[in-house]
Formats: sequence, structure tokens, C-alpha cells
Amino acid sequence: MMPSDESAAEPQVAAPPAMPQSVKVEKTFGLPAIGFCVTQGEAATTLFAGMSDFAVHRIDLAAEKIEAVPIGQERHSSYVTGLVRAGDNLVSGGYDGALIWWNMASGEVIRRVESAHSKWVRMLAVSPDASRIASVADDMTTRLWDASSGDLVATWGDYETKTPHDFPSMLYAVTISPDGRWLATGDKTGIVLVRDLATGEIAARLETPIMYTWDPKARRHSIGGIRSLAFSSDSTLLAVGGMGKVGNIDHLEGSSRVEVFRWQEKVRLYEIEDNKLKGLVEALRFGPGDAWLAAAGGDNSGFVTIYRMDDGKLAAQEKVGSHVHDFAFGQSPDTIYTVGHNQATILKLA
Amino acid sequence: MASNISGLGPQKNGLSRRRFLSAAAAGVTAGSVADMTAIHGLRSEALASELKKQNKRVILLWLAGGASQFETWDPKPGAKTGGPFRAIPTNVTGIHISELLPELAKRMQHTAIIRSLNTKIADHGTGAALMECGRVGDPGVKYPDIGAVVARELGRLESKVPDYVSLYTSTEGRRKGTSGFLGARYSPMFLSESMTPPNIVRPDIISEIDHHDRAALRDVLAKRFTTARRNQAVDSHMSAYQRVHGLMASADLFDIEREPESVRNRYGSSQFAQQCLIARRLVEADVPFVKVARAWWDSHGQNFETHQELCADLDHSMSVLLDDLSERGLLEHTLVITLGEFGRTPGINASLGRDHFASAWSCSLSGAGIRGGVAYGKTDDEGQRVVEGEASAGDLFATILAALGIDHQHEYMLGSRPIPLADFGTNPIRDVLA
Amino acid sequence: MRVALMHLLLRFAFISVSSLAFTGAQAQELLSPNTEVAVAVDHYIAEKLQSRSIEPRPVADDATVLRRTMLDLAGRVPTAKEYQWYFEQPETVRRDMLVDRLMQSSDFDFHLRNSLDELLLANRPNDGEFREYLLWAVRQKRPWDQMFRDMLTARQADGAEKGAVQFVSSRVRDLDDLTNDTAMLFFGVNVSCAKCHDHPLVEAWKQDHFYGMQAFFKRTFITRKNVISEKPFGEVKFKTTEGEEKSATLMFLNGSVAEDKTPKFADDERKQLEQQIQKLERDENAGYVISASFSPRRELAELAIRDDKERFLAKNIVNRTWLRLMGLGLVDPPDQMHEANPASHPELLDWLTRDFVASGYDLRRLIRGIALSQAYARSSEWPADETPPAASTYAFATTKALTPRQLAASLMVVIRSPDNWPSPEDSVAWNKLRNDLENQAGGWTREFEQPGENFQIAVDEALFFSNNDRITKDLLRDGGDRIVGKLKSIEDNSQAVDQLWVTVLNRKPSDEEIQTATDWIERENIDRVESLRSLTWALLASPELRFNH
Repeated sequence: MMPSDESAAEPQVAAPPAMPQSVKVEKTFGLPAIGFCVTQGEAATTLFAGMSDFAVHRIDLAAEKIEAVPIGQERHSSYVTGLVRAGDNLVSGGYDGALIWWNMASGEVIRRVESAHSKWVRMLAVSPDASRIASVADDMTTRLWDASSGDLVATWGDYETKTPHDFPSMLYAVTISPDGRWLATGDKTGIVLVRDLATGEIAARLETPIMYTWDPKARRHSIGGIRSLAFSSDSTLLAVGGMGKVGNIDHLEGSSRVEVFRWQEKVRLYEIEDNKLKGLVEALRFGPGDAWLAAAGGDNSGFVTIYRMDDGKLAAQEKVGSHVHDFAFGQSPDTIYTVGHNQATILKLA
Repeated sequence: MASNISGLGPQKNGLSRRRFLSAAAAGVTAGSVADMTAIHGLRSEALASELKKQNKRVILLWLAGGASQFETWDPKPGAKTGGPFRAIPTNVTGIHISELLPELAKRMQHTAIIRSLNTKIADHGTGAALMECGRVGDPGVKYPDIGAVVARELGRLESKVPDYVSLYTSTEGRRKGTSGFLGARYSPMFLSESMTPPNIVRPDIISEIDHHDRAALRDVLAKRFTTARRNQAVDSHMSAYQRVHGLMASADLFDIEREPESVRNRYGSSQFAQQCLIARRLVEADVPFVKVARAWWDSHGQNFETHQELCADLDHSMSVLLDDLSERGLLEHTLVITLGEFGRTPGINASLGRDHFASAWSCSLSGAGIRGGVAYGKTDDEGQRVVEGEASAGDLFATILAALGIDHQHEYMLGSRPIPLADFGTNPIRDVLA
Repeated sequence: MRVALMHLLLRFAFISVSSLAFTGAQAQELLSPNTEVAVAVDHYIAEKLQSRSIEPRPVADDATVLRRTMLDLAGRVPTAKEYQWYFEQPETVRRDMLVDRLMQSSDFDFHLRNSLDELLLANRPNDGEFREYLLWAVRQKRPWDQMFRDMLTARQADGAEKGAVQFVSSRVRDLDDLTNDTAMLFFGVNVSCAKCHDHPLVEAWKQDHFYGMQAFFKRTFITRKNVISEKPFGEVKFKTTEGEEKSATLMFLNGSVAEDKTPKFADDERKQLEQQIQKLERDENAGYVISASFSPRRELAELAIRDDKERFLAKNIVNRTWLRLMGLGLVDPPDQMHEANPASHPELLDWLTRDFVASGYDLRRLIRGIALSQAYARSSEWPADETPPAASTYAFATTKALTPRQLAASLMVVIRSPDNWPSPEDSVAWNKLRNDLENQAGGWTREFEQPGENFQIAVDEALFFSNNDRITKDLLRDGGDRIVGKLKSIEDNSQAVDQLWVTVLNRKPSDEEIQTATDWIERENIDRVESLRSLTWALLASPELRFNH
């Protein structure tokens, strides 16, 4: 992917630099629990986050004291791990297997699909036109929902329900391409499937086996998995995030790892490992014009890293207090909002 | 020594293989009984014989590294510390356990849960030693672990099978177990590298008959030395060699290929389950104590993912084991202990892990001597501390002994110093005993 | 607390409290300092035997004395050539000649090193640098008080002594271990009983002693780069049984107190230093060192060496050396040197301690003296139909299980063809081979267990000898370099049996044994080599090889 010179030629007040030279924490504030997923509201100053207290929270960034406040009265019955915005609504998914449609403004529940999945919902994605919601879960299915009616449109399997070592597998990550044509999913063992969103046909199968560590001798279980996916704006690149091979699987001590594919050609463009700020890459987003890729995650501490997409090298990096589970760009992507372990941060790119 | 031989056959050539062997054997047997008595002189014979009748056995499922009580026996759904998993009802009204153990939830009639362990020590080595021996170490005394104590109390002196077998095939936190002052006679037969004990199979270059003959020759030649030097170490050398062929005959017990296919399928491909099958074969053959270690639960990072894997393995393996023991009528004689060195913190760390925690955690006891369908003790709403029925490592040790019908206050004499089986001041938890 | 106290009372109930003062007889009552060590040993042992009218066993036959002395001084059994050499020496002086030869040999250095390693780093990760240090010190004939000082105060950077730091560094993460092990292994005193309260039976041992010992180690820490260091401040506080909060003084076991010369630090200075120490403990790139002007560990070393009253340091190593050679300590168990557990021969212990200190803490003189005594050389047999007297009378020799290294080295010696060993006169050839032997033996030691109190041979070992391929396919090969190959080449069966017994058991076979063994070899329809192999196995797996008797 070549950097786009044109985007740099159109200066805007709030536009991010074509290639960020730095990323800095501007503000850190506490969360009442672990934030797993975040999305921006209609207003530039509103965030919503799904958290470990089973609730979806509204965060008013304009407030004097920034606080996360649960919306509405209803709750999931486990951690809230997937959250997307579809028009005026929010849709959340959780480890309880449920999906909940919320009125974003009032916090009223519009719809509850109690058994959307038979196991943990790990992540949600929304199509660019906000007509479809995709969910992935540990039942190893990907489900496509009509965003307005809540109807189940499609269920796709094609994943092994067990790891090669006979343990329950997990389906962690999902994303939909900016052109609305493709849906990508990634599982614990490092299998990426890219589907035609309309037909469900598998268009590509990619493998990132390094992201799955099986320890056959010392500890006899596994760690890792594909935790994040992102398409470039032209939908030709697919970035896959996770963690490199781990020595002691008691800890998140592997290098943070990103693989970038020209997925249609099945070419692995970059394999990026960061040995300095380690752990899982929990979220990935391309910057404007696909000149760079933002990655966030961590071990006990967290990080936000900007990788250049002309050579796959690190452009800027910032350590964030504790593990980051998700991030969202602000209305202009010079701002990054992270949520994670009892903490959220606002970062600025320059 | 040689009089046994010279009286029997030709003086020079032509002593047949068979005759040499039987002559040799005749010269040894009488001495050996006395030796065994000498070694086992500590134990009260009356007590031992009473216990033998009861024919009790133990399988210890050792959850090495420390399993989380929240994700197993003491779920706290909805609490800040509770994690994402649900609690599910069991087949015993009122008892809920983690949803990660659905099969065990159907079998709670066999099992007593203890939710109120406060063992204080939260590092692996010392914690494991504490739970294994039921007391804190002492620079002056090497205490035996539960396996050695049970082997000594329940094992038969003349037994052909091993009396303490320990399987630990992962490398992390590997511990062999220790017989302490009870001596090497009660050390575990230790399987760390493969599913077959080391050196239990005859080398292929020597025939079975030659192997036996050579051992008989050894015994004959050893006698001159041992007769005039009676001490525990010398006697133990003799009795160790006398157990060799009995133990070699038990090699098949470790071979699960000898099980019908249906049984093997039921246990499945998990290494832990297969080791549970070996354990069942061993207790069926009257081995008094088998430890199967399942490492490694030390989920400092990704506690919930780790427990999804390891609890699935535990749920399956332990359920099949309980069913199999029960169907064979073995469960009423076999105590299954499910235990690790400690539990895990209520607090969830930034790596979504739980760290070491010994102040309020759980274990379970199933089968022989246990009142099934009981959840004993209680922790507070967040699982931070024990609020009811606090039990120490020594109390658990005493409970295990009591379930087997062994007097926990019975004393070993170390020199002239009495050492009770369970530590001073500990008591069995009567509520979990049948 | 009541429970704990009962526990302790029971624990010590077995010690008969004696009114004898622990220090035993007065110095002027002891035999003259000019007495030879061996003579003093026999004097005191005989005195007690006579007072109890016990007739001790006679000195064992020459072959047994040779084997025992070799095992204890050289760490292995003799080769057939050494056996032959011994019997060629004049009968009246061969023991002296043997002991003096051995003490010049590399065998002696290796074995003393191994014995000290087993004592000081037992059951801890074996560290090559510690073993190198010990070998260096033993070869230097370094006095024990200096070795003690090396081990207590060494730092990584100190040249040949640097490996000594392993004694501290292997225990530094557990202050109780460091305190207890130092007290037990160097002073023969287990003070852990005095941690929670004053010792219930040993009046002299107070909590102050336990925490006093601990205070010497409190400041010791290890940096992230594994360098042992001492903080410039830090003290031990403890609660007495009365609940009083106390600060421990730097007090040695004999009650002597080191003056605390810790400089005064301003609060902020102290705080800054604490931060720097924390960083040292966590960050391997800290890039600086902390050196304290006042070292409590050095103070402990000096107090212990200066201790001329109780002489814990000297008395302990004398007792432990005696235990190693005689199979039972004069004070038993060796970590209970206190007034409630007197020595079996208090005057002897005092005499040996005095001699040891006067000799400049010379371990060799002590070992030589004990090894040349009559008491050391007694037969280990006692008639099967009689009850033997207590082992502590030393009326007969104790049968001792070989250590893993003794057993491994001995196996390596006996399974070779006797022709393959050099003549005992050729010390250059032997010293070179001895190095290889040490390394070879190292590869076998983990198959055997270190003997300790109440030691028993595990069935694992019997299974190992019975079935392990290394025994059958390596040790018992019939190649020309192996004992089985040598036996194969001897046509006469009686001669072959004679060779086998001398090589493996280091003695001549009895007539009955020759009969049994030749019968075995001459069984019908069995290959002679296989019979020689199984006969050899029967001796390798025999108790006679397994023990030092």
C-alpha cells in the first residue's frame, strides 16, 4: 500500500498528519470496571463502552469530571464485549450470548435477542451502511443480523469447534470492509476467513499460526489467538492482530504481533512484531488513506502503536497505563480513545 | 549361605538352572520376612490389619499451579470479582458450581466441596509442600506427604503392586512427592517422562528366566553381608530388590491398550483423562495411592481462557473417572481428592488473569468415606475471605485420613519423638464425612 | 500458642536433659595437646567402652580397611592394582602409607570438595562456580575459618573466592533459610525453634538468638543482575511472646554482640537509597552499585571466628567430619549442639576442637587423625545372634550407604578391566584419569539418592540396576575394556571368580563363594559369557558394593 499524497495535500484543521510522528496520552480517566469495547456516539464528545459490570456505559467527554455512566436499566448477564453503533441505535453483545439493541439517546432497550449465540459473543461489526450487524462467538459461528429488524439473516460455521489439541476453540474477531462487500473473522488457532457478505461464500482463507501458542510440555494448554482485524479503506488490505509465540504461557509475554495481507492475492505483506511493548493486539484501525495502521492492546500495561503502511515500520508509539481492550478514532482520526483495564485514555496524534 | 546350594546338587558341573534357582530362593525367604518386619516395626499391627480389611484407596487429582475457585467450586456470578462465568445448578438442590463444570454438576451426589480453605501460603513450592504434607515444613524433620502416609497406612507389606504412584508429565512445577522420614520404601513410583514407569520392563537382551535366576543369585551372595550387619539402610536394600519382580509384573497396569476400546473411547484422547484411566486400573489392582497431576493452572494472564481449556479437561476426566469407579463398585472404596496448592485472587488483573491466593479457596472430596452432595464452608460475597467453616491445610489432611478410616492423631515415633499423622491441633471436617 | 508450645515440648521430650555442662571437661583435664590425634581418639573411645564393660570388635581385615579408607578419603573403591599394591607394603605401616598417599592425591581433593558441596549446597541447584571454588580452596589447603569467611562475605568480583558467594546467593530469597542454614551448617545449631518463643528446653536459646542471627542477614539482597549486595541500613524487629516489640541486636549464638556501626542517614537520603535499591532489585540495567560501609555479614564472620568460648564454628565442622567418617556424630543429630543434647564423648569433642583450632582449622590433619585411629578401623560386623551395643559407643564400625558420587565413581572403577587402570605408582597417569572419572561419575549421580537420616534404598534403584540399559548394555559389556571382557579371557573359572571379587568387592572370595560362583558359571547349556555377565551383575547389585562397611 502506497501512502496517498493527495490526502496530505488537503489540509484540514482537525485532520491527522499524513504520517503521525508521535502519539501522546492527553488524558487518562478511571473506569468503574474493565472496558472491553468502545464506539463513538453521535456527538464528538460522547463515547459508549461495554464493560465487565455487564452494562453499556455512556462517557461524556465534555463533562468537567469524565465519568462512565450505565445507560438504561437493563443489563447483560455477563461481560459486555461487543458494541457497535447502527444509526440511532447501539447494539451490544456479551459473554451471556445475548445481543441487545439500545436507543442510544434514551438508553431504552429496543430488542433483546437472548440466545443470539450459545456461547460467549466476542465481537460485533457493523456494515458501512449500518444495515447489517455481524457477531462472532465461541460457538464458532458468525451470525449476520438485520440491524433494524433484529432478524437473523445468516449463520456461518466453517470453523473447528475444538483446537488441534482438543480444547474448546474460540472465535474472537470480526470486521466488515469499508466497501461493505467483505466480512473477515479470526479464531484462536489463527485461521482467518474472508467471506462475501452477500452470499456467505468464502473468498479467502489465511493463516496466522504464530498467533496461537500451544505448550505441549511445560504447561499443557494454550494462549493467544487472533484478537483483531481491520480492512484498509480500499478493502484490499487486511490487518490481523494478536501475539507472537509465548514462552511462559502464564503471562501475556509474547511480542505484540500484526500481520498485514493483500488478502485477495493471499500475500502476506508485513509481519510486524514489537518486542518492547508486548502482549495482545486487541484492536486495529487503518488511518485515512491507509497510510498508517493504529494498533492497541497490551500485557499488564497497554500500548498504542502507529505502523507505517509503506514499509510496515513503527512510526509512533505510546505506553498506556494498563491493558487496552479496544479503541475508537474520534470524529477525526487525530484522536484515539482507548478503553481497558479500569481505565480509559485520550491520545492525540501529531 | 552356600550350604543351601552345596547340599542340593552336583558339586561342580551340571547344576541345572531350575535347581539352582529353587535352591537359591530357599536360602532367602526366611530372612526376608524378618527384614520386612524390622522395617515396618513402627506401625501398630492391629491397626494395620483392621485397615487392610476396609481396602481403601486414594486418587489425588492435583491441579498444579492453582485452579481458580471462582471458575470451579465457588462461583460468584455478578460480583465484581466473579468473572464472566455463570453458576449452574447441580443435581443436588442448593449447590451451584461454575458453568465450566457441567458434567461434574450432574454428579454432585458423590462429592463434597470445601469452600473455606485458608492456608495462607501463596507461593507454589511452599504452598504445594503445605498441601501435600498438611503442615508447614520444619528444618529438623522431613515430613512425609499424604501419598506416603496413605501408602504406609493402607499398603500391604507383601503387595506385588506399587503402593504410591505419582504421574506428573508436564514439566512446570513438577514435584515428585516425598516420603520424608518414612523412608524410601514409601517413595512414589514416579512417572514424569512417559506413561510407563522407568526401568519397569526387562531389557530385551536378557530372558525372563535369566532375569529371575540372576536375582536369585544376587540374593544368595548378598546374604553373607547382610546377616552380620543389620540396620535399616541395609535391610532396605534387600527389600528393594525383593520388590523388583512384583513391580515388573505390574507394568501392564500402566498399559491402557489393555482396556476395551469402549472404555478407552470414553476417556478419550486427553492425556489427563488417560492418566485417570491408568489411575483407575491401578486402584482396581489395589494400589493404595495414585496421584495424577494436571499442570498448569497458573493463570496470571488470561484466566478465563485458561480455565475454559483446563476446566473442560477436568470436567470430562473427573466425570468419566467417577462414573467408571462407581460402575465398578470401586468408588465406595476410593477417595478422589481434587486439590492444588492454592486458589486464585478475587481481583482480576490487567491481563485478565488471577494471581496466587490462599486465604479463601476450595477443593473437593468424592467417594470413599465422604458425604456426597455437601458444600461445606462459605466465603463472603466477593470471595475475599472465609466467613464460615474455616479450614487449614492440616484440617484437610485430617479429613482425608478420617475419610479413609485412619486415626489422624495416630503417632509415628521418630526416634523417641512422637509425630501425629495430622499436625497438632487439627481436626477432621466432620460435616463432609459419611 | 498453647498448641505450639505443646508441640515443642513433645519435640524435645526425647532429649534426656543432662546436668553436664555442654562444654564438657575443663581444658586442663584433657589429654596433652601433643598427643597424636589418632591416639586421643582411641583413648577417649576406649575409656567409655571400658567404663561400660563393652568389648569392641577387633580391627577389620586389611582388605576392608583399605576399601573403607579409600571410600572415605578418595571417594571411590580401590582398583585391583591398588589392592595388590596395598598387600605388597609392610604390614605394620601399610595403613599409614595408604592414608598419606591418598592425602596427596587428586582423589582426596575431589572427594573432600564433593563432601563439602553435599553438606553446604545439598538439594539446591548445583552451581559449577561453587564447586570450582571448593576445589580451589581444598587444593590450596585453605583453612576452614577462611573458607567460612569466603562463603559468608564473598562478592561476585573477588577472584578465585567468588564462587563462594553461592552459599548466600542460593538462599538469599528466603531470609529464614539463610539464617537457619548458616546456623545449622556452620555452627551445628538449629535456632528455628526459637523463632516464635524462647527455646523451651535449651535455656540458653532465646528469641534474641534467632533474630540476632537473622539481623546479620537482613540487609543482604540480590540485584536483578544476580549480584549479592548489602543495604546500608535495615534492622529486624520482632514481637516477643509477651507481645513486646523488639529490635534485634547483631548477636551471635554465644551472646557476643557486634557493634552496630551503621551510619546515620537523613530521612530523604534514606528514602532515595531505598528507591535506588528497589531499582537494583528490579532493573538489570540500573547501572550502579550500592556499597555499604558497614557489613553485618562480615561482622558475623568475625564474631564466629573470634568465638573462643563455645567455638561453634570449629566444633561443628569437627563433629560433621567425624560423622562423615564414623557414620554417627559425636553430637547426634549434628544440628542439635546444645546443653540438652550432650556429645557421646564430650572430652573427645573438646580435645579434637582444641586441636583443630590450634592446627589453624586444618581439615586434613583432622581427617588423617580419625582415619588412622583404631576406632575407625573396627569391623562393622556384629554376631547375628547378639544384640549390638549402641552405635554411639563406636564398638563396631557403622555400615554407611555410599553417597551418589561415591557409588557412581566406584561403579566406574569396578566395571573397567583391571588392566586398564594405571599402576598406583604412576600418579601423573592416575591424576589425568581421575578427572575423567569425576566427570563420568557426575553423569550417574542423579540415579541415586543422597543418604540422610533414616536413609533407605528406594525400589527405584533396584529397578534401575535390574533393568536399565546403561547397566546391561554399557557397564556389563564384554568388550576388552570391561570387567566382563577381562573375565572372559581368563580360562580357569576359579581364577575368574577371584579376579571378579577382587575387582568389584575388593576382597578375596571365600571358598563357599568360589563354589557358588563356579557352579553358576558351569551350569548346563548356558553360555559362559552370559553367566559371567550375570555373576558380575549380582555383585554390582550387591549390598556389599552399595555400602561402606
